Amino acid sequence: MPTALTLNFAPLTLNAPDDKPLLWALREDANLIGTKFGCGIAACGACTVHVDGVAIRSCVTPLSAVAGKHVTTIEGISAKGPNAVQKAWIEHQVPQCGYCQSGFIMATTALLEKTPEPTDADVDAAITNLCRCGTYPAMRLAIKKAAQLKKAGG
Amino acid sequence: MRKFAKTKRAFLIGTGVVGGALVLGTVLAWRRVANAQNFKPPVKEGETVFNAWLKIMPDSTVVVQVPRQDMGQGIYTTLAMLVAEELDADWSKVRAEQSQINPVYGNIVALGDSAPPAMKSAMMAMARVIGLQLTGGSTSVRDGWEPMRTAAASARAMLLGAAAAKWRVPAGELAIEKSEVKHAASGKSAPFGEFAQAAAALAPPSSVTVKAQKDWKILGTSPARLDVIEKTLGKTQYGIDVRLEGMLYATVRHIPYVSGHLQEVRWKNGAPPKDVLHLARGDNWLAVVSTSYWSAKKALEEAELIGGGDTGTVISSEQLAAQYNEVLDGKDNGVMKPLRRTFGEHGNAEKAIVSATKTQRIDAAYSVPFQAHATMEPMNCTVQIKDGKVDVWVGNQAPTVVQWLAAGNVGVPSQNVTIHTPYLGGGFGRRVDLEVIRQALACAKLTGGKPVQLIWSREEDIAHDAYRPAISARMSAALDDKGGLSAWHHRMVGPSVGKSVFARMNPLAAGDFRPDVTNAEGAAHLPYALANFKCDHAQVDLPVPLGFWRSVGNSYNAFFVETFIDEIAFAVKKDPYLFRLELLKDQPRFAKVVDAAASAAQWSGALPKGWGRGIALAESFKSIVCQVVDVEVVGKDIKVRRVVSAVDCGTALHPENAKAQISGAAIYGITAALKSQITLKDGQVQQRNFDTFPLLSIAECPQFETVIINSGAPLGGIGEVGLPPIAPALGNAIFAATAKRLRSLPFVIA
Repeated sequence: MPTALTLNFAPLTLNAPDDKPLLWALREDANLIGTKFGCGIAACGACTVHVDGVAIRSCVTPLSAVAGKHVTTIEGISAKGPNAVQKAWIEHQVPQCGYCQSGFIMATTALLEKTPEPTDADVDAAITNLCRCGTYPAMRLAIKKAAQLKKAGG
Repeated sequence: MRKFAKTKRAFLIGTGVVGGALVLGTVLAWRRVANAQNFKPPVKEGETVFNAWLKIMPDSTVVVQVPRQDMGQGIYTTLAMLVAEELDADWSKVRAEQSQINPVYGNIVALGDSAPPAMKSAMMAMARVIGLQLTGGSTSVRDGWEPMRTAAASARAMLLGAAAAKWRVPAGELAIEKSEVKHAASGKSAPFGEFAQAAAALAPPSSVTVKAQKDWKILGTSPARLDVIEKTLGKTQYGIDVRLEGMLYATVRHIPYVSGHLQEVRWKNGAPPKDVLHLARGDNWLAVVSTSYWSAKKALEEAELIGGGDTGTVISSEQLAAQYNEVLDGKDNGVMKPLRRTFGEHGNAEKAIVSATKTQRIDAAYSVPFQAHATMEPMNCTVQIKDGKVDVWVGNQAPTVVQWLAAGNVGVPSQNVTIHTPYLGGGFGRRVDLEVIRQALACAKLTGGKPVQLIWSREEDIAHDAYRPAISARMSAALDDKGGLSAWHHRMVGPSVGKSVFARMNPLAAGDFRPDVTNAEGAAHLPYALANFKCDHAQVDLPVPLGFWRSVGNSYNAFFVETFIDEIAFAVKKDPYLFRLELLKDQPRFAKVVDAAASAAQWSGALPKGWGRGIALAESFKSIVCQVVDVEVVGKDIKVRRVVSAVDCGTALHPENAKAQISGAAIYGITAALKSQITLKDGQVQQRNFDTFPLLSIAECPQFETVIINSGAPLGGIGEVGLPPIAPALGNAIFAATAKRLRSLPFVIA
């Protein structure tokens, strides 16, 4: 059954099975490959996107669950160039292999919308994605920097 | 396969072949730089090619050919820096792209490192002939160091020659600054791109001198990595992101056992579901081709794979541990058939230990489990076979081998096979393996010319990796009458990773890979002053696929060695840091690293109650790393609070990336020390995904501080070297906090 949604600020109808995870609908049907497959069980967060502004794990979210909703991916937040989180990521040279980074950036972007000045404990609670290269030290600095940039209007 | 077997068997190390290659290598005296001048990579519009390593655009953009794979270690950046330095290029105008496959790009250092010392030069000679493009063993910079700088210096001389001719001034009066050719006397200045075409037409200089370190402007600094912006914007295309017209998707499932054969497939409703377009079957796997990964995966869930487990010697991890103990007891139990070798010896350690009194003798037994790589990008490969040509898109650490495999597998000449190597979503040794490529080739043969992308689920990745092997060790030491350490005997048992990897590459190479120096790396030669020393290894065969796992043998040997050193320090009532220094009194380079770590960590500084501080030192891949770990233990909960590292890799060419690699490798090692392992039960891996194979999270990540020591020693590696000391430093810290000595990984406080 076709599913109508708003994807990266534009209306779209995807012709894919209702139970197809949003991750695969994005990657295969919408051809948006910035959202990554990591585990398929919502454990790693590589597939994190925003649904109505909330960070969710698209690998376990059926397409039918986002009917009529606003879905934003890494391509959406990057459309006008890097956002505050991405600017901080570049400044701190966070990525190594880079594969998990879209998910972390989406999770951090959502965190800063809700909690503009996150404490370390806020970061620990909200950023539960997994990175195998171990970019966490640079990432923690970048999250703090992103909060500053965002506050300053970046 | 036949051609592959016949012509490329040479690189599958055997003494006779190595000897032959030595002669061949000497007679031909092939020089890489000379070859590099002759091989010209293909050009895109506007590019002027100078040699195998670089092209220059009219706008002065330098396009560096990188024959190594970037799996996060930043090698595109560091190798491009070698070229940019010699050209005095403006870093903002430097790009890197994956080179073609050609023997000129072979990794000579990696093959040299893989050979025992006596065979090293022969192996390097052979490596020049084989030209294997391989990323591993932390060798990329060491290997690229001479040819890439020389190639760039050669291009620089040609650019200056062309500018001198045009301006009618002596080339010696010209300089390059940030990609601009300058003539001070006349004030003339022009971007070097303007001279590229004329320069490339000149004969390369017969010899060039590369810059002295004091003249470096780019090396030793930390310019922006070439891949960070794209990766941050989500634009980088990994293998899994390849999208081709009409592409189909496939996924695979293996029999539940780590080894054995697929005997029968039973479908839930008696037949494959309608979404199945094609079925491909291998020795121990079944793949479904469909229009979507999701539909392929759902369809495959309806299949039951009946396969015999190869019970062989491994039924469970517990049984394996018992068998290992028998081998360490000296029994050749008929199942394991250990191949016993001594990897290092001086003095007479066994005699000293046997004759030591009870109070002069220290013994300990250690073990590590199997480990999975768990790259964040699951295994995948895209193949199109059409009109006698084969295209393979895969993130693999050895594209040359992929080309041989695809050519042999499809039955076409190598020149009809194009390997496309994107950025790798993690490697750590996992992407040396070829199985996913074989499977994708099998699928692509069924699709009538349509491309097909095969993706493994995470469950297949964890349960069917090529694992870091489980190893058991027994360590014995003897003290002399003054309480000094006089003898050291390291005995261990485990399989050869090299033998398993090469046997899977080519079954004809299933003979013994001897001796596999990676078994004993980090154990065969120690920096410590030990009058009597012996390192013994009993090599056994396991029916478990094995692979190179970040830092390979060092990943377990450093744990055995550095935990044992700590145990000895405790036994002789000495501070573990000072005890190491005593043993390093003739090794100033090592002592300096230990001092730097201890000093940065304020070794003697007070810690809160329940905390402990531990230290460990390891040399791997020609670099020396010492780590000091602060840990907090609350009940059974182990919290790593701080890791201070000191590293001497000779010269850190990109210090910030070096630090990121050190902390990244340490985090990889902390996951293995605290969180995850692979265990076998009834011939099956018990872990399936990140729920049962968890990784360290940001909340659990300690603070990092890394001190870099530029000793000027020959270059060492950086991508793996932060891993070996972390487990022992952490275990030693746990001991300091709790007085509990944990001798097996992952650490569990009983």
